[in-house]
Parts: sequence; structure tokens; C-alpha cells
Amino acid sequence: MDNPMHRRNFLQRAAGVLAAAGMLPWVKAQTSSQTAEALPSFTGPGPNPYWNGVNPFVVYPQKLPLLRLTDRGIQLETPRQYFRTAFTPNEAFFVRYHLDLIPNSIDLSSWRLNVEGNVEKPLTLSMQDLLTRFKPVSVAAVNQCSGNSRSRFQPRVAGGQWGNGAMGNAIWTGVRLMDLLQEAGVKPGTVQLQFQGLDRGPGPEGKGSNAFIKSLDWNDPVLQECIVAYRMNGEPLPMLNGFPVRLVVPGKFSTYWMKHLTWIRALTKPDDNFWMATAYRIPDTPRGNTTPADIAAGKVKTVPIGNVNMPVRSFIVDPDGSSKLVAGLPVEIRGVAFSGYGRVTKVEVSLDGGKTWRVAQLGDYHGPYSFRTWSFQWKPTQPGRYTLAVRATDEKGNVQPDEPVWNPGGYLWNRIERQDVVVGTAS
Amino acid sequence: MKRYHWMLLVLLGVWVMAQDSSLPGLKETGNYTQGSLGQVLQPLPVTNAQPDGVYSVGAWPLYTPELADGPGKELVMGYCQVCHSTTYITMQPPLPAATWDAEVQKMIKTYGAQIPDDAAKQITAYLQAHYTPETRKQ
Ligand code: HEC
Repeated sequence: MDNPMHRRNFLQRAAGVLAAAGMLPWVKAQTSSQTAEALPSFTGPGPNPYWNGVNPFVVYPQKLPLLRLTDRGIQLETPRQYFRTAFTPNEAFFVRYHLDLIPNSIDLSSWRLNVEGNVEKPLTLSMQDLLTRFKPVSVAAVNQCSGNSRSRFQPRVAGGQWGNGAMGNAIWTGVRLMDLLQEAGVKPGTVQLQFQGLDRGPGPEGKGSNAFIKSLDWNDPVLQECIVAYRMNGEPLPMLNGFPVRLVVPGKFSTYWMKHLTWIRALTKPDDNFWMATAYRIPDTPRGNTTPADIAAGKVKTVPIGNVNMPVRSFIVDPDGSSKLVAGLPVEIRGVAFSGYGRVTKVEVSLDGGKTWRVAQLGDYHGPYSFRTWSFQWKPTQPGRYTLAVRATDEKGNVQPDEPVWNPGGYLWNRIERQDVVVGTAS
Repeated sequence: MKRYHWMLLVLLGVWVMAQDSSLPGLKETGNYTQGSLGQVLQPLPVTNAQPDGVYSVGAWPLYTPELADGPGKELVMGYCQVCHSTTYITMQPPLPAATWDAEVQKMIKTYGAQIPDDAAKQITAYLQAHYTPETRKQ
């Protein structure tokens, strides 16, 4: 069995093996397989075509390898594969800080949650107080960064270049915000509640680079559903997700979910700090959509992103395009869906890039603010290239649109998601 | 002979055998190459912690990529790492020259970065020379 074909192959192989062992460094590395080739180090000026951002895997305390956007302050994206289940593991849950003085160590013997400002009786509560003096409640809720999927924007905008992984779902357990406020007795004249945690930045006092502070309107109905959470999926919060407690604001973007929550203040004047007055603002238009030209012309009125809930979204997790499918072999197309406006009532799948739609099967219902898994059995019979697509509908009748959105902050992306797959022949 | 030399001989032997037997449909097998994507080490669990009220996780690791070489790089490394790492720069998509100018101005006016005018100009020129759609390489 010594034909020339084989011999050439043999020589190539031998060279390859030797080169792999570092013995023949001048032999060009041969085949590029999937694992030997890295994604590019950046995408643009076109949209990022990948599900996640293109950033490398890195390890952080209490975390599995996640995708590093920035290392100081810390921003980490959750890889796609962790969205196969309705609840995102704590160790894979995304991380988004704005400032770089992030607690490495917290002493619960001196840490206190302070409820202050325009209240009858300011409170200073220890973790022990939170655990014993108030009734624990739980909610399943999606925590999604306002800028999730920002790397899809055209033209691209500055900011965290997230793919789809700046989101996660957890069961949050803790104390009802309203129970704390009732004990403190919020006085008339209160217009907003302000939240601040232990993280800080080195910038000058009074600037956004010094402290990250957010406020919610006192008349916002979401306050009735807010939780000061000390448990996440049944465990203490990882430090990078806000240990010892964080605010949970079901249906709203993460920017209000204050980590390391330590101060709750009843305000008599609207909060005009940078993170309310300048950052995290969206055009006061349908979907928060506008154009670079209208922004440049100064025509666009903006409102805080807390004025809206998270728009309905759905994601294809499998198949992910990393391998070919086989004609005649059934495959489960699956993923998650959610809406800040309530229960996901329908998920539809398209096998032709969005021309025709079929209803997918919904997974268990974990409450209006949770991820809902969905699945669709598909048996591709013809080899070829297919573009899968998914769209969700919520109980208010909101359907995911196929038009992109644009605003200068890179917020509110919820366009229909697509996944290209290749089906090979079985014969 | 070192141990891996023996392993190579064994591998080659396995390969030769694979060529001689009949494995229908086998198009390629036993192909290895040096992993170019690196490896990630596992963290040690916090087993020696005291059962007191202190909850610590250790230092946050840095993973800051190298900036492009060129005039102004030192200024960027001096002035643009006060509040955050330069990963904030490399993470961005290629941005138009005017956007980089606006970013530097935003750091100064909005966030209070203290950068002399002349240095700010050189920093902007550096960013425009390496991080726009026309100029970005890495
Ligand atoms: C006084 C503190 C400070 C200094 C000094 C500073 N920055 Fe920033 N920078 C910030 C803050 C705060 C953010 C917002 C961080 C966030 O939201 O995650 C930021 C964000 C950024 C971003 C992301 C896009 C954006 O606008 O949010 C870029 C790019 C950036 N900085 C570049 C620079 C460059 C270039 C320099 C040097 C000229 C610099 N920074 C110096 C505070 C600073």
C-alpha cells in the first residue's frame, strides 16, 4: 500500500507531527482546524456577525472562563452555551462595572445597608437584620445590560462591544424593597429613590468617573416588585455580581440593579447625577430609534432608559453553526426568550431566513420576568445552506421586529436573531 | 532520547498502521498541531478562609492587550489608564477620527481627566493613527 498519494501524505504528517513538537519550527503549520484558529481581535466598521463578542476567555474569582470586554473596570460576557437552560449559572453570569474600584473584600461585621434621606426613621441594617427581620421573597428575573448586543449597531457606537451575552436569568431571593421603606417611613415630598453601592472610581468627586448612582421614580410601579437580593440561584451572590446584596428591578435593564447596594435614599429633588442626567438615556421615540443625522442636528429629546421595560427578545442557542448538520438527522433548534413587559406567549421559528414562520414549543413558565426556553424539532431533508430565525411575542402583543434599531448609546437592540447552518448529505 | 521523541515514534507508528488498515470514509485522522489559543488555568478554591465576617476574593486579574506601537503610545499609557485600563480603547470597533476626538474630549470634560492640551492632541492623533476604520490593524 505504498502509492505516491500516501507517501506525500505521510511526509506531510511527519512534518506536521515534528513541527507540532517544536522540532522543525520552519515547517509551516498545516491544516487550520476549528480550534487552531481564533476569532479576529475586533470587528467593524460593519456589525459583529458572531453571537458573542469576539473577546478572549479569561478567568476571574468565582467565575468560569468568560469573555473579557474590559479588565479594569471589569466587564465579562457570558458565552452562548450557558443559555441552554432557563437559569444562568452564577459562575457564568455576565459582569458589568463602570468604575474600577471594585470590592475585593467585604466585612459583614461592619457592612450596613442604609435607608436614609426623606424618611421618618433612617435604618442601618446588618446582613443579619436582613436575614431575620424581614420575610424572604423570590422572583425569577432576567438581568440584561442596556447595551446588550451593542456590537450589532450600524454605524457602530462607542461603548461595551457586547454580543448577545450581556444577560442572564436567576432566581433572586431577598427582602422586598417596600418592606424596608415601610419600616423607614418615606415622607411626603419624595420624588425619587436613589441607590448606591460600594464601588467607586478614581475620578473627581461629583463626576460620573467617581461614583455610579441610579434613581427610580417614587411613583414607578416597579418599586412594588423590587427586591434587595442576598441570594442568587440559591447561593450567596458572587462578588462580581454584587455581594452582599444587589437591587433587583424585574423587567428593567441592569443599570438600575445596583450591586453591593449600601445606600437607599429618598430624594425630594430629581437626581441629576451623570448616570441619570447624561448616560443611559434613550430617544423618546418608538423603540428608542433615531438616526445619526437627527442626533447631530440636536433634534432628539431623550428620557432615562428606566422609562421603558426591556423589549421582547429571543435567541437561538443551538444549533450554533460550529458544525455541519446531517440531512435526515433531526436536530433540536432551541434557545431562550423573554420580555420586560411580561410573559412570553409565543415563539416562532423560521427555516428560510424569516419568510415563513412555524410555532415552537415553549418550556416551563417561571414567571413573567424569567427566561422561557423554547424548542423546535427540525429534520432537514435537503442538503444545503439554511438561515434559521426566531421571533418571540409577549402577553402585551409585542412582536420582535426585523428592523434594526439605532441610537447613540447602543441601547434596546431586539431585532430578530438569525443563525446560518450548513446541512451536509448523508449519502 | 527524551520521552516525547519516543511518543512521536509511537504516533508515527500508529499513523502508518492507520494507513494500512481499511477504514472506509476516513478522510483525515491523527492530525495534531500546537494549540495556538493557549490554556486557562483553574483557580484554587478558598479553603483556608476564616469563618468570620470577612468575604474576600483576592486581587482582580488584569488582561490588558498591548496597544499599537507608534508616537503617542506612552502618553496614552500615562493619561488613559488613570480610571480604567487601555482595554477600553482596544475593545472599541474601529471608530471614525471625529469620534476619537470626541472620546478624548469626553474623558476630559465629562469625566474630569486631567490632560494638558498638547498631550490631548497627541493622544487623539495616536488613536486616529491606529484605531479608525482606515488605520486599524490589530
Ligand atoms: C477621570 C477618569 C478617566 C480618564 C483619565 C480616562 N477615562 Fe475613559 N472612561 C472613563 C469612564 C468613567 C468611562 C465609562 C466607563 C464605563 O461606563 O464602563 C470611560 C470610558 C471610556 C471609553 C469607552 C467609551 C465610552 O465613551 O464610554 C473609551 C474609548 C475611553 N474611556 C477612552 C479613554 C482615553 C483614550 C483616555 C485618555 C485620553 C481616557 N479614556 C481617560 C473615565 C476616564
